[in-house]
Amino acid sequence: MCDKERIVSYVYDELDRASRAEVDAHLKTCAECREEIAGLRRVRLDLGKWTPPQPEFGFHIVRDRQPTWRQWWTPAFGLAAAAVLVLALASAIANVDVSYENGVAHLRTGRGHVELADTTRKPEPPRPAVAPVEGVAKTKTDDAQLALASLDRRLRQLESASRTSGMQQAALSSAQQGDDEIMRRVRDLLAQSESKQQQELALRIAQVIRDVDAQRVSDLNRIQQGLVRLDAMTTQEAVAHRDLANYIVASARQK
Amino acid sequence: MPSTDEELVARSMGGDLDSFNQLVLRWERPIFALAYRVIGREEDARDVCQETFLRAFRALKGFKGQAKFSSWLYRIALNLCRDWIRRERRQPIAQAPEGVDLIELASESTPTESIEELVARRELGRAVARVMAELPDEQRTAIILKEYHGLTFQEIADLLDCPLSTVKTRLYQGLTVLRKQLAREGLPGAAPKPSTTDRTDYTDHVRVFRDVPGISRNIDDV
Repeated sequence: MCDKERIVSYVYDELDRASRAEVDAHLKTCAECREEIAGLRRVRLDLGKWTPPQPEFGFHIVRDRQPTWRQWWTPAFGLAAAAVLVLALASAIANVDVSYENGVAHLRTGRGHVELADTTRKPEPPRPAVAPVEGVAKTKTDDAQLALASLDRRLRQLESASRTSGMQQAALSSAQQGDDEIMRRVRDLLAQSESKQQQELALRIAQVIRDVDAQRVSDLNRIQQGLVRLDAMTTQEAVAHRDLANYIVASARQK
Repeated sequence: MPSTDEELVARSMGGDLDSFNQLVLRWERPIFALAYRVIGREEDARDVCQETFLRAFRALKGFKGQAKFSSWLYRIALNLCRDWIRRERRQPIAQAPEGVDLIELASESTPTESIEELVARRELGRAVARVMAELPDEQRTAIILKEYHGLTFQEIADLLDCPLSTVKTRLYQGLTVLRKQLAREGLPGAAPKPSTTDRTDYTDHVRVFRDVPGISRNIDDV
């Protein structure tokens, strides 16, 4: 009798020509192997009847540019105070005017350009704290003022820090270099505030989604309860009708 | 002319998402079919299929082209199936569909095949699924890769990290068990034609078909 591996190779047609000829020759004389191979071929035919379902897939890989929850969820709490500042600041950012004069940083809101690099310009006449044209900005006066005050504080700290380092470096650091440093930091601050604003926005959106979902679930529950009540009422009505019908039939019979 | 897998892989490695998604489109059905036949549950097989492509995408940089891209996908999918079976701690269950999807059924039927033959083929398919589910995992996997995916013995051996002779032995043993089991179920070859007195086995199908004009008459005549 042929060995099993040969039989399998023969059934799946994975024998070289010589081996195949050998098996063919053997099969002419061996009924047992013939039967075995015929049986395995029948099984193969049966296996062909097993077809998997054909679901619609429609999935594909997309690039996700959004930060994931895990990435910023934890630090977001740590920076909660900063985030509040940032959100408020963001609303006013379009009209923020930062100037640097005589070693002091000035910060205003208004319709003017942000002229971070211009340290030589003269002080401008005081402007309204809030841009009157921007309706949105008007509603955020308090937030904006808070934010501005806070940013002002930070700028002063930066400025004093740079002055200290300037003293350490003595004559080497010119006033211009100090200015550049301050401007760089201001830009960093602004960049930071922008990224935090994005995080805040993502957080808000997530909250809204959660709220909507919760509302949807509770609505569905209410609908479900309503349906159950309706069902119960319908059943009661049906029972009442049946009773009434029975009563009518019974009384008709009596008559 | 469509791109080869290798070309698409190369472009995907260069950051071209569309190319990778073409690979997904090309291989999602074979990978799903593999997972479905190994673990026996449609929903879970879908998950495995999706996860296979996610993992492949993430690990694309590590794919050095030492094997065919499809073999690499098969390997990932089989690993996920194995994890699934371990996690579920049970034999895979061949999922019997709740009803018969008529549209799917109709699309499967060949012009020469009557509805009875089609139903018989379905019955046989389910019987095969049942007995396959009872096979040991390694025998079932070998049969699936050979029978439904047309891999060579050598490719299966590479994929399953086992000697060539082991693959053949597993196939032989698996097929032999299937042969016995299918004979026990009375289902080698086509099922006998339903007689007019024996309607019970087909009640489910009759119920499904009855609502469909054109087919109902044939079925009621059975």
